[in-house]
Amino acid sequence: MKDHAADTRAASIDEFASAIAEEAARWERSTRGPFVAEHPERREEFLTQALKWPVNPLYTPADLDAVGFDYLEDLGFPGEYPYTRGTSANGHRSDFWTMTQVTGFGKGEAWAKRARYMLDQGLSGLILEYDLATTNGYDSDDPLVAGEVGRAGMALDSLEDLEQAFDLPFDKLKYLMSVCNAPQPVNLAMLIAALEQKGVDPKEFVLHIVNGILIEYTCVGRYIYPPEHGLRLATDCIEYIIRHHPNWAPISIIAAQLQPAKANPVQEIAFSLAIACAYIDATLERGLDIDTVAPYFHFVVNVDMDFFEGICKLRAFRKCWARLMRERYGATKPEAMKMRMMTSPTTVALTLQQPLNNIGRLAIMATACALGGAGESMTTPLHDEAHSLPAEEAIRVGAALQHIVAHETGVAETIDPLAGSYYVETLTKQIETAAFAEMDRIFEMGGALKAIETGYFQRALGREQYERNRDIEEGRRKWVGVNHLKLAEERREINIFRLDDSMEDEQVAKVQALRARRDQAAVDTALEQVRRAAAHGDNMVPVCLEAVKVYATHGEICHAMRDVFGEYGADSQLGGL
Amino acid sequence: MGQTHRRPLRILLAKLGMDTHTVGVTVIAHALREAGMEVIFTGLKQTPAMVAAAAIQEDVDVVGISTLSAGHTRSLPELARLLREAGAGDKLLLAGGVIPEEDMPLLREAGVDRIFTMGADTREIVAYLNDWWAEQAAQSA
Repeated sequence: MKDHAADTRAASIDEFASAIAEEAARWERSTRGPFVAEHPERREEFLTQALKWPVNPLYTPADLDAVGFDYLEDLGFPGEYPYTRGTSANGHRSDFWTMTQVTGFGKGEAWAKRARYMLDQGLSGLILEYDLATTNGYDSDDPLVAGEVGRAGMALDSLEDLEQAFDLPFDKLKYLMSVCNAPQPVNLAMLIAALEQKGVDPKEFVLHIVNGILIEYTCVGRYIYPPEHGLRLATDCIEYIIRHHPNWAPISIIAAQLQPAKANPVQEIAFSLAIACAYIDATLERGLDIDTVAPYFHFVVNVDMDFFEGICKLRAFRKCWARLMRERYGATKPEAMKMRMMTSPTTVALTLQQPLNNIGRLAIMATACALGGAGESMTTPLHDEAHSLPAEEAIRVGAALQHIVAHETGVAETIDPLAGSYYVETLTKQIETAAFAEMDRIFEMGGALKAIETGYFQRALGREQYERNRDIEEGRRKWVGVNHLKLAEERREINIFRLDDSMEDEQVAKVQALRARRDQAAVDTALEQVRRAAAHGDNMVPVCLEAVKVYATHGEICHAMRDVFGEYGADSQLGGL
Repeated sequence: MGQTHRRPLRILLAKLGMDTHTVGVTVIAHALREAGMEVIFTGLKQTPAMVAAAAIQEDVDVVGISTLSAGHTRSLPELARLLREAGAGDKLLLAGGVIPEEDMPLLREAGVDRIFTMGADTREIVAYLNDWWAEQAAQSA
């Protein structure tokens, strides 16, 4: 009965589509063709920005028919499978997305001051980033990291630093995302211990760890241990949080790091989801089931300047996740199939040249994020980010920007307003189909861990990086201020963020003073426990927690694990080189 | 161009310290290979001593350092000194990435032969290296 109804529907759609296709062919012959003969097109070929797929002059229902689009199967309704139209049943009519920004530099106290400023600007969540010494697993006084301390984010050597950083109004701050992937169990332990000390009720607060080591191996490079051990540590953190702090967020797949490494939308979806599957498979092996595990996965997705590629990518992404959870894992609960997402305009669209132009770019990309569904939260980079760390005015403009999109444009007043656009639905479906084909390729080679170990991901991205750079150098992609409308006069000033050396000296002195006054015997015992747990395959979070509480340092705990796991070093295949 | 070499130019590309931004160095490596050069990449998290040792062992003509995290005022002079001390001061030493104007005199003084800042056209880099290589051939002829 049901099949019969579907057949009838399909037959009538086919008739409709072929009638439109005939009319479209007539229009091409009699109207557009003669026009173009007299007014040649301004480009030889029209392509999307990243995928470089041909863009037709016009999309009609015939295109939807050609890609096999079916309203009920491909779109359905908001808050229902396959979630193409959003995971919320009411879009953003009940609540806007949570508006956040990235912060984090210098020492703990300096970060706390900046964080308080940001909370006062109406932001409700914060993202904490650490310096490269911390994210690569070294203390500030390690000779290998001289010159890096406090530069790219906060310097974190011991629990003492977080005690100072958490001098914050926790009545306003309800959500904190921490970005520290390779040393994740150590970082998680420090955060838990610091929150405990501040008396923050873990049930009233969401700690969100990114825990994204597999993307570090793929394109970012801040790894310590060989990939299999990296995956194990990440899984330890996921398991620990699910079992002990079920209201927290143990993992984010930062597709937004693949995108600046020039993953195109298809690669971004396929690589991210294959990576998610590697974590999921490892977590399921710990005895948890898919309907419990899947809802913990969270994604951060960028959009670039190609408006429609960005919007369609967000819509296809949600659908691919839903299908993957249902088809590959047999998930049954809606929560397991709803993709949790933070969206963001990409920083790589911003230019050093004519930096105020970046405000325009950010507004367009933030609008694309909103039109693609925005996710539960959105974060906006700052217009001067290309040449320095955020100034306070840039923070204010960045926060205002999201409010402008939310309150002034009307894009959030109805749910998924671009649905049904012939172009949007065609491109969404094409991206989904290609992403599944690429995922199948990755699963066939043994999954994401294998794709990392063999350098498949890295080579694929390296090729994209080279080709997309050529598009700009050879002028196929116009970029205002870079290869189009350049100012002859412009002096390209590069201001790097120079913290004065005294900051580094103070941080070094601080960690050394701590080592001199703590209970060394307790530290030695705790580090031995870390080595033992690492070798035995125990969950690493509890032993790290014991170690940070007796003020073992971040670098010491990371070194204890290096003793067992070894290091992943120059043999990495970043960029496929 | 006059005299030309029988073998292609060999270049070592390296990243120093904790700086893990690899897009720039990847793009350049591809462009140089495309232009017929032999490119060796050290991988990440190298010290100046490791890069100097690799440059000598691989017997390269050129060493190119990609730097995007502000450690350059410390690490590049050290690398130049180590190369000189090892008797490899004749290798061309290049730097690229985020390098502010005001740091350039110091780096040139220390022995960095040429600096390409962010956004430099890869065709410009290839042309520069081809010219230098041709000059070397002419001198040794």
